[in-house]
Amino acid sequence: MFSWLNKKKKKSAAVAKDRLKIAIMSDRTGHDLPFMEDLKRDIIEVIKKYKEVSNIEIRKVSHQETDAIAIEVELEEHK
Amino acid sequence: MSKVIAVISGKGGVGKTTTTANVGLGIARNGRQCVVVDFDIGQRNLDMILGLENRVVYDMVQVMDEEARLDQALIRSKANSNLYFLPASQTKDKSVLESEKIEKLLKDLRKRFEYVILDAPAGIESGFEHTIEFADEAIIVVNPEVSSIRDSDRAIGILDSKSRKGKEGGEVKKHLIINRVDPGMVERGEMLATDDILEILSVDLLGIVPEDKGVIDASNQGHPVVLDDESEAGAAYRRIAKRLCGERIPLVEPQAKKEGLVGKLKGLFR
Repeated sequence: MFSWLNKKKKKSAAVAKDRLKIAIMSDRTGHDLPFMEDLKRDIIEVIKKYKEVSNIEIRKVSHQETDAIAIEVELEEHK
Repeated sequence: MSKVIAVISGKGGVGKTTTTANVGLGIARNGRQCVVVDFDIGQRNLDMILGLENRVVYDMVQVMDEEARLDQALIRSKANSNLYFLPASQTKDKSVLESEKIEKLLKDLRKRFEYVILDAPAGIESGFEHTIEFADEAIIVVNPEVSSIRDSDRAIGILDSKSRKGKEGGEVKKHLIINRVDPGMVERGEMLATDDILEILSVDLLGIVPEDKGVIDASNQGHPVVLDDESEAGAAYRRIAKRLCGERIPLVEPQAKKEGLVGKLKGLFR
């Protein structure tokens, strides 16, 4: 009946849900793999045969069912 | 066919041990041979909840180290003759656990019991990993509360990556129990609802246990609440046990108690 009184404030359960979704998403992607550093070095070695590498980014991306590795290689310009 | 079911959570204090005791006793009341094992080495809690603390002579570490025979260490429940209990060691710490010995112990328990239920330690350290290592299924206990849900997601991640089944490309079957639900708070939007939690965790729901003061009363007496016909939490555990025994029991969402006039008036101004 008087529900318009508390319309202004977002219900705390909805706030909790939003915060949890974001926190869990970042937890799931945040875990480094133990071999990350070695993998980085190896990939740089391979690509260097063709082009200089300036930066390399490796991330583990996990969803409920699958794990994937996302690799981003930044190339050195003019080389 | 026997099943090893690990009862896990992320953080402690969500009612994991209470769940283990009630689910185990519920399964035994359905006529199945069941053993509950306290894997919380160094702590020892399950014996109190089951009211069996005075009967403990040998523990599971002594069985694993062959200092005692399994039948010497197993304690039969007073409440139901189908239920047995294997205590944790109080004197040793978690580092005594070794995969090979655990595998052997569980193999022996599987021969004797249809349901082998393991009460995991809180946290996601080595003791936790040993509890889930050989599990066929897992019950994840959460409270409808942010830290519990977040930590349980990490525990599920470890379950998938560190269990034998997970490593072999399979999957440990996962069941979710939402414990300590306050239906009034859910109704008012002050507590995460079942659907919200399922959306965040994407695990199959096994049951919803309402907040019930009778649970503490039951623990005080070492008389699990599943035995109490009047209790709502007890009824929820009875349904959960039946589902685990393969019965199709519809999920029941706890309902808020109808408030009296005073409560309604208060509600208007909340």
